[in-house]
Amino acid sequence: MTPPRLGEETASAHWGWDEHRYFGHRVFAELTGSESLAGLMALSITGRRLPADLVGVLDDAAAALTLADPRIWPLKLTRVVASYGSMIPALCAGLLMEDEARIGPWAFLEAAKVLVEIHRELDGSLEPGRVRAAVEAHIRKHQFVWGFGTPFRPKDERLVAFKSCIERRGKQSLPYFRTMEAMADAVRELRHAEPNIGIALAATLLDMGLSPAQVGALVVALMQHMFFAHAVEGAAAERSLLRELPAEYVTYRGREARLSPLAARERAANGESTSKTKTAAE
Amino acid sequence: MPPVAPLDPTFELEGPLESATFPETLSARVVTPGDAPRLHGYDVEGDLARHYDPTDILFLSLTGELPPPEISAALRIALTFLAPVSIAHASVHAATLARLCGTTTSSTLGIAAIGLAEQARVLLDEHADLLAWLARPQGAPPEAYRAVNPDQRASGERLRRALVTAGLAVPDFVAGLKRDAALLCVLFRCGLTRVEQLEAAIVSARLPSAFAEALTETVVDFAHYPIKLPDYRYRETP
Repeated sequence: MTPPRLGEETASAHWGWDEHRYFGHRVFAELTGSESLAGLMALSITGRRLPADLVGVLDDAAAALTLADPRIWPLKLTRVVASYGSMIPALCAGLLMEDEARIGPWAFLEAAKVLVEIHRELDGSLEPGRVRAAVEAHIRKHQFVWGFGTPFRPKDERLVAFKSCIERRGKQSLPYFRTMEAMADAVRELRHAEPNIGIALAATLLDMGLSPAQVGALVVALMQHMFFAHAVEGAAAERSLLRELPAEYVTYRGREARLSPLAARERAANGESTSKTKTAAE
Repeated sequence: MPPVAPLDPTFELEGPLESATFPETLSARVVTPGDAPRLHGYDVEGDLARHYDPTDILFLSLTGELPPPEISAALRIALTFLAPVSIAHASVHAATLARLCGTTTSSTLGIAAIGLAEQARVLLDEHADLLAWLARPQGAPPEAYRAVNPDQRASGERLRRALVTAGLAVPDFVAGLKRDAALLCVLFRCGLTRVEQLEAAIVSARLPSAFAEALTETVVDFAHYPIKLPDYRYRETP
């Protein structure tokens, strides 16, 4: 007996004969030649096309986010995998690392959640005492505020650059961005921590109507170029040092050399001493 | 855009990483570097390879200690029960699609590993209450994990019989649980009590069969793949 056909619904795409559909748009007639890569990414994640000025904000964000030193942990990971010579596995490893990681796009998603929570709590008020109380309550509950803190430097230079773009585009007076600025004053006072680009970009994307989950996904897209840089350059390198570091660059801090119970039993049966084991260094 | 000064390639760049200090070496805590490796202190080539099997090495890797013989036997049985994953499951289906599309063997293996890791994560999420009960057992196991149909009970009974045949003491409640729940109980009782250990053990057990299934697929034989299983109906949202 033939089982019933299984089906699911999709709002994303359909393959036609001469024209394809993508989130309610005809690919060739409406998107080809008129939609940018950033716009397509936004469409893929939110299911809607963004107006050109908002796509411009995404381009600004991607450029301002470009902190791509290969020594930075997620990018280093990409290069470590790229040392075997294949670009795509390296790229995938870099992207996979982002899943719930404390740094990278996941931090933007978490920052967006914080912002939504405090924005809701403030209910439109930016009165400093009320903001301070909301932030204080959040810190009491979570001991940490996502989107704040600038490791190894006093301020996040990416935020400085991004804010000037936001101001140039006149987006600094939107509700979530204003909440973020008010929160920054409170966190600075309570935790001596400066905002980073995570909370500012989260605010901007929330002001565009994205949900926190969509913020996380879109930031993955906006940061992809850096992973490409290291996957491509790393994979093209002639036998990278990273493929196997010389042993002297590894310090062993594990268990001391020891004999297994079965080996000890064998030695005892052969009348050998079981106390002599080679050390790990030998 | 305002004009900016041209870049000077000879300029010595400075930034936060030039100012901060970090360790100079990687830290190894499980495997010694070099040509005569030790695993958690045991000589791999001169000792472990002569006296222990891969199940023992898996246990040693995950816990830092070698299992006593009865734990090793129970683990071998549980991992064998866990090993098969059919193509009906997304993990193996994904690996098979990778093979069909003609990607590399290493990428197919990587995709299988990702799928299996996700499958294991979901399994463990679904059994969070059971794991909490195992950590602090009070009363009977949570009702949701009890075998409710004859097939489930039969599988639990086969597991119980395999363990008993190996001379192992099996808690009574194990045979009354659904298959996955019973297997997690055995792994937990063996000493794999942390979610990370369980996830790694499950993926390790399943990777060979998942990969083997993928390898049976004919590269780019698109006509014989059921592309419409399931069929996606495109609906435009207003």
